[in-house]
Amino acid sequence: MTKKKTLTILVNILFIFLALIIFLPMAWMLVNSLKTNQELFRNSLALPAVPQFINWVNAWNKGLYKYFGNSLIVSGCSLAGILILSSLLAYGLTRFNAKGSNVIFLIVLGGMALSEQVALVPLYKILKAIHVYNTYFAVILPYIAFRIPFTVFLMRSYFIAIPKELEEAAVVDGYNSLQIFQKIIVPISKPIFASCAIVCLNHVWNEFLFANVFLESKELMTIPIGLMTFKGDLRADYTVMLAGIIIASLPMIVLFLCMSKQFVRGLTAGAVKG
Amino acid sequence: MKTRKSTPYLYMLPGCLMVLFFVYIPVIANCVYSFFRLSSYSADMKFVGFDNYVRFFTNDTFWIMIRNNVLYCVISLIVQVGFGTVIALLLESSVAGRFRNVFRNIYYIPALISLTAVGLMFTYVYEPNLGLLNSALKALGLSGWTQAWLGDSKLAIYCIIAMSQWQFTGYITLLMVVAFQNVPNDYIEAAAIDGAGPVRRAVSIILPLAKEQFLVCTIITVIGAFKLFTEVYSTTAGGPGNSSQVLGLFLYQNAFLHDDLGMAAATGVFIFVITMVLSIIQLRVSRSGEV
Amino acid sequence: MKKRFFAAALATVMAMSMAMGAATVSAESEKKTIKFFHRFPDEPYNSFIESKIAEYEEAHPDIDIVVESAQNDPYKEKLKVVVGGDDCPDIFFSWCGEFTERFIRENLILDLTPYLDADPEWKDSLMENQMVNYTLDNGMVYGIPFRLDCKLFFYNIDQFEEAGVEVPTTFDELLDVCQKLQDAGFTPIAYGNQEKWPSAHYIGTLNQMTVSDEVRAVDYVPTTGTFTDEGYQKALEYYQQLIPYFNENSNGIAADMARSNFCMGMGSMYYAEAIEIPYISDPTTGLNPDLHYGMFKFPEVEGPGNPNILTGVPEGFVVSSKTQYPDECVEFLKWFLGKEVGTEQAQTIGWFNASIGTTEGVEDQSLLDAYEVITSAEEMGPWFDNALYSTVCDTYLTATSDLTNGDLTPAEVMEKVQASALEAQTLAASAPEEE
Repeated sequence: MTKKKTLTILVNILFIFLALIIFLPMAWMLVNSLKTNQELFRNSLALPAVPQFINWVNAWNKGLYKYFGNSLIVSGCSLAGILILSSLLAYGLTRFNAKGSNVIFLIVLGGMALSEQVALVPLYKILKAIHVYNTYFAVILPYIAFRIPFTVFLMRSYFIAIPKELEEAAVVDGYNSLQIFQKIIVPISKPIFASCAIVCLNHVWNEFLFANVFLESKELMTIPIGLMTFKGDLRADYTVMLAGIIIASLPMIVLFLCMSKQFVRGLTAGAVKG
Repeated sequence: MKTRKSTPYLYMLPGCLMVLFFVYIPVIANCVYSFFRLSSYSADMKFVGFDNYVRFFTNDTFWIMIRNNVLYCVISLIVQVGFGTVIALLLESSVAGRFRNVFRNIYYIPALISLTAVGLMFTYVYEPNLGLLNSALKALGLSGWTQAWLGDSKLAIYCIIAMSQWQFTGYITLLMVVAFQNVPNDYIEAAAIDGAGPVRRAVSIILPLAKEQFLVCTIITVIGAFKLFTEVYSTTAGGPGNSSQVLGLFLYQNAFLHDDLGMAAATGVFIFVITMVLSIIQLRVSRSGEV
Repeated sequence: MKKRFFAAALATVMAMSMAMGAATVSAESEKKTIKFFHRFPDEPYNSFIESKIAEYEEAHPDIDIVVESAQNDPYKEKLKVVVGGDDCPDIFFSWCGEFTERFIRENLILDLTPYLDADPEWKDSLMENQMVNYTLDNGMVYGIPFRLDCKLFFYNIDQFEEAGVEVPTTFDELLDVCQKLQDAGFTPIAYGNQEKWPSAHYIGTLNQMTVSDEVRAVDYVPTTGTFTDEGYQKALEYYQQLIPYFNENSNGIAADMARSNFCMGMGSMYYAEAIEIPYISDPTTGLNPDLHYGMFKFPEVEGPGNPNILTGVPEGFVVSSKTQYPDECVEFLKWFLGKEVGTEQAQTIGWFNASIGTTEGVEDQSLLDAYEVITSAEEMGPWFDNALYSTVCDTYLTATSDLTNGDLTPAEVMEKVQASALEAQTLAASAPEEE
């Protein structure tokens, strides 16, 4: 037992060390976002004489809230689209023994290897041709399309493992295939939905390449693009920019920390054993 | 089940169409473009055969880009997937203590910050005069260790890679933790009763049962490494010189800075071939890829 | 044909898979909508532009000006994407020289000459030495300057006095001044080349002196450029002589950071743009508004070139040839880039436009000094990075960045540039528009 205790202490020292690595740059940024530019230049490790909350106000007033709202809309719509279309696709692939479903799966899976950059230029022309360039759809549609293959890949392996008996019972109850999907498959597959949601959200929330090219007006910009406009050419308002980075990051972090219990529980609860 | 023959296809249709129109058609169009010379603001295009490919492969930066992308890939596999999984195992082990959830959450935080924010943040961390790294080194009396970081041709790409490890190791850790939690307790207990030590249990019970998630993490990491773009764009933009140039950024610069869409398309085809081959290899290696 | 098929097919997919209400752009039929795209999203410049536009809209109820903006690099990228398309802005910021000329070759830019000829008063109110930069050799005027600029060395007067040095007029004197400053414990030159373009300003200026006007004229045209003149290498050698006097790690420092360092006294000199003066004097964001500094022109270098050229052509706006309302656009520019707004612009944001006599009410002596230098300049030199074909420029700057780090020699840099120039010749010659 004492051996286990020393191990626990050692492991926790490692954990604390890693946590410090994560926290140090963020803490440094936080401290400096509350300084004047002069203070930053004199010593970036020192604490501010008087905390300059005005930096935060200035950063907020630069339109951050707008970028944030845009990011929420784009991520929300994309995530919904990805999960709905992918789960339907995976459902069709796995639960019907449909002819050619293996071929379809392979084709969809092939999309996983196709990277965004490869499609960038033609996609730009297509989006213009269908008149969605510079609207939310200009990024939502490609986001959905590009995340489907991977999401289907994850969902398919999960759906396959769901026992047939559940469905057969439902058929006896007179459910049609859509009801089976809604009432049996989706509830039982919550963990995989959650898993896919994190992976996709992480991607969509951070996406820069498409957003940078396909969104033109300031009104539509998402956070990753909006933040780059903080990095002016010759302007030198460093502390406000640091404040902007923090404001842009804070909501997601707070949301995660508040929800983390439900989040991880959702990921693991109801998992099919084996 | 009584269903019409067309039913399954109706479920598959919307998703398939999306993939077809927004993924496959652009990629095929891209392959076509790669044989032309064209710019984004001009409607004409001119057939040039393999010229774009010749220019791509004989480009000075070609090997630099390959080296950088491979470096990023290998280091990310070791640190994010390898070390990240070890951390996940430790977090889920009996010696983790009661703060395991707190640590797991902390490690995940960087992944919640957008890539450009992290890029901007680290440009300041690495800033030679007032940045965190050099300031800290000076404060510790290690002035001799200070570096130009992103301004040093030899260090720049490693600085960017380090930044990514900082951001995404915790992300992989979380994904692996989730997988480990799904491993049924009875298996582990049974193994413990059989006298298997913690390391044995991890290697022969927990890891194999979480193999699929592990594969998923590997694929995300490898493909991500060859699509690398934002991290470099928001920090060095390929500099100093071309020392931190990567394929994704090269494509972007050719398309939108040099109006050389053909060259960009050729680069795109190359990225496509690499990621395709690597994905197939990975799926082959693991059984879960079998259809 | 093919495109139309794609469009139709895609529209069907959209309708099927997305039953959400698509965002449709509905233009108000009554008002004439003019899209205006600029690259000054920073404050206070953005607010100034927007307030002026609001003012104009109020005076002209039939005009609706839609403003978009982006930072420098994203601006360049986006502009190229939109300029050929249907949603090209009616009025947009564009650098003079090759940057705009390639659009002119595609007939994308409105010829302003007839408008200027029709209104001699307007024509005469604009500075000739600035307008010439927005004029083609055949006389076509394609843009009107929004802000004047030039490159000057800013120097810290206190540090110069302390080190006992005078303003240098020749390159040898500059090196001497640097040495003395360094001996006195100062960092002679604040320099940040992380973005690579700052080096272009040094190289461009040096090239103007080490290479003759005729040779440069040939080399700066993509289809004829070879860069084989030995003057180019000389320019790089001069630049190389300055490297020991730059601050350390210059490739790791951003351009604005270099100016901040200069402001904080961590650099006695800084090769700056005149438009940076307001950044220094701004009481809220300026690091050291009380900085005691002066300016001098880049010291002269012996060579076949022309030392009287002042680096820094103005930057301005052009009108799209596809615009529905060319007259309205020109009418707006006439006001927006005219004397009245120009005077207010100089007072509030410290940038001059090309209208004659806009200094009224400007108190900052540095601004007036710079204005004097610019207006009396015999000829403005191009921004080197905008003057070259983009791949040549990229090679040039990338190699210079390596030179700055000590990884390449001037001769090796020029070898790379020459190779790239040769490739650019074939690229430019085989570009679609030359078919």
